[in-house]
Amino acid sequence: MPVGPLGLDPLFWAPLRLIIAVALALFLVLNGALLQIYLERKIQAIIQDRLGPYHVGPFGLLQTFADAIKLIAKEDVRARATDPWFFLAAPALVFCPMLASWVVLPFAQDIVGVDLNIGLLYLTTLGSMTVLGIVIAGWASNNKYALVGGLRSAGQLISYEIPQILALVSVALVVGSLSMIDITRSQAGPMVNVFVLPFSFLIYFIAALAETNRTPFDLPEAESELVAGWLTEYSGMRWGTMLALSEYGNVTVVSSIVTTLWFGGWQGPGVDAIPLLGVLWFTLKVYGVIVVMMWIRATLPRLRIDQLMTFCWLGLIPLALLNIMVVAVLALAFPDTKIPIALASWLLVIAFIAGVPFVQRRRLALLRARASASAVRAAS
Amino acid sequence: MSFDFVEPVVFAVLAFGVIGAGAAVVLLDRITASALLMALTFLCMAGMFVLLGAETIAAFQVLIYVGAITVLILFGVQFTKQGGDRSYALFFQKQYPLAAALVAAVAIPVALFAFSFTAPAPPPGGGDIRPLATSVFTDYAFAFEVASVLLLAAMVGAIVLTTRDERAEAARRRK
Repeated sequence: MPVGPLGLDPLFWAPLRLIIAVALALFLVLNGALLQIYLERKIQAIIQDRLGPYHVGPFGLLQTFADAIKLIAKEDVRARATDPWFFLAAPALVFCPMLASWVVLPFAQDIVGVDLNIGLLYLTTLGSMTVLGIVIAGWASNNKYALVGGLRSAGQLISYEIPQILALVSVALVVGSLSMIDITRSQAGPMVNVFVLPFSFLIYFIAALAETNRTPFDLPEAESELVAGWLTEYSGMRWGTMLALSEYGNVTVVSSIVTTLWFGGWQGPGVDAIPLLGVLWFTLKVYGVIVVMMWIRATLPRLRIDQLMTFCWLGLIPLALLNIMVVAVLALAFPDTKIPIALASWLLVIAFIAGVPFVQRRRLALLRARASASAVRAAS
Repeated sequence: MSFDFVEPVVFAVLAFGVIGAGAAVVLLDRITASALLMALTFLCMAGMFVLLGAETIAAFQVLIYVGAITVLILFGVQFTKQGGDRSYALFFQKQYPLAAALVAAVAIPVALFAFSFTAPAPPPGGGDIRPLATSVFTDYAFAFEVASVLLLAAMVGAIVLTTRDERAEAARRRK
């Protein structure tokens, strides 16, 4: 009789492993959401010179627990004119892909659900499925604000998926693998990918902010113009599942991708001696990225929808294609060293940062000229 | 005891999903439900690819068909009125004999071919992205290029069809 790990029959071990993995992922998602909501409120409070939550528990630490209990205890409200099936299905459609993406996140050397050789592709795939739930939620709510939110979400997420995937391609070109484990292994030592490919990191990070509906790209929710966008008709734990769990779960997944691809994943001092230390490094790096996202949210105002689309199609996608071309040519020309790629990438970053205000000023001048021309035409 | 029974069971579930959801897409008279069930069909197809050992194809199937195409269809559906789903004419001409004849004309040869198919199972390896990419860019380079030219033509066509002539429109508005 074959014996699996812990002396168990594989017939018991396989389902047991599945249950443990799902329970662990759920545990991490729930606690991560609680922690990140607290973190978000505190960081925003610090940046806006307020105190933030401080009544419940020490430093307000129990505030999100109280909020969660309130959400669970709330009455389950569903407006009569909403579509019964789709209204109930939408939160699940948003939540499931997010939960499934936790399977391939490499927390440490051997702590990973499964090492897929297409791990990166798998993550992108699941990220693209979230849109489906958001669009369905917007439509099923039978509410104009929700509908506009769903429409915006569909347009925005489909557009920003393209630069996101194109940015990942350049990393795959340099590393030569799509497996999250291999990508992490290739970055042993201090020379992590962010020094080699800063430009693709920049593009991915911008696109990821849009993909997770974070400010300045949170147009599908846009509290000040659309009430709550696609979430308008949702309340109680359904709202909690969609917004709190799924959004913060997605933020964690995206930050894990950033950490694995550009910041060396679990690699760090002392990992070779104590492999479990990798979990600590990985978590610290992931939360570093999350804090940057929260900092951006508290700092930048929301874009307008046409600015958002123009920026993606006329800015990010051509730049991402240019980046792929440069990286591919240099990787073919200099197969032994990464220095030319790094130099070219940094030059692109500098050109991007210097070029954005310039292009912006020219666009503004053009718009002003067109406005005054049409004013003249209207007067004559 | 082994896990040999799992694969046929999973296959049965997926086959039921593909056929059932596919039939429902055509037979239901609610366009949103049809769009979502189409996503389910694509997902089940992706599951089939995974069973065949072609994880890469499965991932692309979900990425393109569920993540992009279905969302685009739903984007169009958003403009329909909620609750007032009209039964759309295409599938509801009620031509039962014709429909039965068409289905039989396709299904019977396919079924006969499927049951007489005895080629050996191909070696697994479709999940490996490197040989896949190599074969796309060497053995199938011509087909790949033809497909990309077709897509380019479609893209240019879409842009041409949707651009508005701003000057002509302004002239019309002034009248």
